[in-house]
Amino acid sequence: MSDTTLIPTPVLRLSGITKVYPGVVALEGVDLAIYPNEVVGLIGENGAGKSTLMKVLVGYVQPDSGRLETAKDGPVFLSGPASAIEHGIGMVFQEGALIPNLSVLDNLFLCHEKTFERFGFLSHRTMRRIAREQIRLAQIDVDVDSLVQDLSLANRQMVEVARLLWLSSIYGHPNPVLILDEPTAILSDTEVDTLFAILRSIKHRASVVLISHRLSEVVENSDRIVILKDGRNVAEMPAGSAKISEIEQLMVGHEVSADRYLEEHQHEPQEVEVLRVEELRVEGQFEPLDFSLRKGEIVGLIGLIGSGKEAVRDCLTGIRRADGGHIFLEGLKVSPANPHQSIRLGIGHVPIERRSQGLATGMSVQDNINLLVLKSLRRGGLLTRRAGRRNAQRWVERCRIKTPSLDVLSGTLSGGNQQKVVIAKWIGANTRFLILDHPTRGVDVGAKEEIYHLIRDLSLEGIGMLIMCDTLEEDIGLSHRILLMKEGRLIKEMAAAPNAKPTPSDIIKFIV
Amino acid sequence: MDATAITAVNGPGERPQKPARRVPTFVYSIGLLILIVLCLQAGNQNFLSAYNLLTILDFSVILLLVGLGQMCAILVGGNDLSVGGNISFTSVVFVMLIGRIGVLAYPACLVMGVAVGVINGVLLTRVRIPSFIATLGTGGILASLAMVFAPVPVNIPTNQWKYLSVITEKTFGVSNTLLLGLGILLLYQFFYRYTVTGKRIYFTGNNINMAWMSGIDVAAARIIAFAICGLSAAAAGIMISAEQYGSNPYLGEPYILNSIAVVVVGGTALTGGTGGVVNTLIGALIMGVLKNGMNVVGIDQYFQQSILGVMIIICAVLTFDRTKTTVIK
Repeated sequence: MSDTTLIPTPVLRLSGITKVYPGVVALEGVDLAIYPNEVVGLIGENGAGKSTLMKVLVGYVQPDSGRLETAKDGPVFLSGPASAIEHGIGMVFQEGALIPNLSVLDNLFLCHEKTFERFGFLSHRTMRRIAREQIRLAQIDVDVDSLVQDLSLANRQMVEVARLLWLSSIYGHPNPVLILDEPTAILSDTEVDTLFAILRSIKHRASVVLISHRLSEVVENSDRIVILKDGRNVAEMPAGSAKISEIEQLMVGHEVSADRYLEEHQHEPQEVEVLRVEELRVEGQFEPLDFSLRKGEIVGLIGLIGSGKEAVRDCLTGIRRADGGHIFLEGLKVSPANPHQSIRLGIGHVPIERRSQGLATGMSVQDNINLLVLKSLRRGGLLTRRAGRRNAQRWVERCRIKTPSLDVLSGTLSGGNQQKVVIAKWIGANTRFLILDHPTRGVDVGAKEEIYHLIRDLSLEGIGMLIMCDTLEEDIGLSHRILLMKEGRLIKEMAAAPNAKPTPSDIIKFIV
Repeated sequence: MDATAITAVNGPGERPQKPARRVPTFVYSIGLLILIVLCLQAGNQNFLSAYNLLTILDFSVILLLVGLGQMCAILVGGNDLSVGGNISFTSVVFVMLIGRIGVLAYPACLVMGVAVGVINGVLLTRVRIPSFIATLGTGGILASLAMVFAPVPVNIPTNQWKYLSVITEKTFGVSNTLLLGLGILLLYQFFYRYTVTGKRIYFTGNNINMAWMSGIDVAAARIIAFAICGLSAAAAGIMISAEQYGSNPYLGEPYILNSIAVVVVGGTALTGGTGGVVNTLIGALIMGVLKNGMNVVGIDQYFQQSILGVMIIICAVLTFDRTKTTVIK
């Protein structure tokens, strides 16, 4: 391992970490050193071992072998997040670890209120003073008495950061290690900028380990990059000299094709309109807007969080009613009042939250695929095993779902295969217009490619699709046409023909 | 979260390595049932006699019936504490009605049971009160009404006994109670296996959000599940009255917790959406065997409740699927 920083002693050093789960080696002799005041970007595909490594770092899982040393305490054993923070290692969890209905102050000091005890009673005055001070140090613009649930997602993460900084200071760690797991996945672009600005500003008193799917973000904001693949270290480099294409190649182990979004399969959509929206509006969410979508056309709907695109989606799927305007499906005027009605009209929706909205994780792959077409699988009014299996088998093959059997609980599949089950469920149900909300979220690179293939196939079959993706690149790469929304208005429409795609920066100009 | 981390290590495109196929929860319950039977047989050689086995089955039928109803409420993601009040009330009303309207008392009581279930379902879905509270309320009302109608135990006069033959007599040497129980069990199995509504109850219990977004009328599914529970409790109330040729307003009470125990012991998760009819059957048999067996072996009446309690905990440990819930409430 080549040290790229000049400071010789790392604040934290992991050496030879191995963790074996039944049947699978999650980590194999992984080394990681973290130096004071640096931001380390940790990169790897889903399943490369990033999550396991992070869990080892905060004591969530114990490695089978290997050493963990801190500069201050030498070799340490971490029995859980609580003991990790005592050694100056803290993690900001992906899903947030704050209690939403408590105030910022309560959350900051949760479980450590004893520090403020005087004569057996809590001194609220001191707590408030320290809380204000900590919030100011972390440069967060919130009131310490406001409830966490009222804060923006970015601010919530910053409160977590502030809490970890405070905790490590009371345990006497001048340079704690903060781990941020996919901190930007749920943030809007402006919030992302704020987050990184703040991270840079706390660098003088902490080291940060940054995990993110968005490579460009990691490269821009880290000092050093560590790449994991299949549970092993594969490379390490200063971020300044890193090239994204090179990193991708190291992550995947083979060259990623330039035509990642299968643009050569992007065919001209059919002439017939499948969806037309006229004067659609929702008070306080978006102003009257018009657009249309042809059979087999893929249209990317792009906008920051709060641009109103979520409300547009909800009107089309029947999750909420529009306050005015019309929706036409293949020329027929419709007004879905609930999901049940829009599904009967042939509108499908692959939701953003796969596990909580898209899948019955405790039921079999077969049950999930057949959910929407149960009625048509009846023979003489009754569900039969044979018809159910045949239908499920067909879609498993069609969507290339990798599952040991049709009876496996859908929740045990990998993220990519779970997503394919959700897509199979919708396209098996005669869907004419499909909304794909972040179809590749939390899906590894291999499965992403298969999902792109599936989307191209659906387009060829004439299904119209409205997509909202994880990254601008994905939106642009997949779409025939792009709709841009800003502050509740549809501000621009852009063509995205193959080989003539707009660049992300073209788009950012308009939406920010 | 772990699962995805592990499987993808095989590399994209490869079939993920899976641990051996999940053992269905009822396998544990069957094992436990066999163990209990063997222990009891060791304690008393007559335990496994044909006569005693029939007695156990007869005894388990009521538990099974209430348990199956409770299972519906639990599968759909709630629970029904009104079964006790429902049983007491129907059984008292049945005794009072059969003298006046004869055979018609059967459908009248069953309809009442369904009505109670529908009210529970509406309180849950429309008034939006948790089923735990809603059914606690309706159950209390029913139990008190039973006491108002019959402050003292009531009996069915002998000249009305002819109406009870459908329950009290035997067909081909097997008691009708047992045959009815078997019939109802098959109906349940049929409902959950072969009907769309049955499947929808599972989907709703498993992930109500997803079910709604997939166009399932989740309110209807929940109301139907509670209606079936009410129907089953009413049927149990009628059976108890017929077997005892009378009723008292307290006889439903033990079934509140016993029915939940039957469901849980069988391996149906209280979180909803997993488990099923076979699980509940085994749960009812375990509870029935234990209750009868402890008498046959001669365990002190007061001490029996403790053993039952221990068994419930053991069964829950064996069958409860902890992988689905991270936080145990």
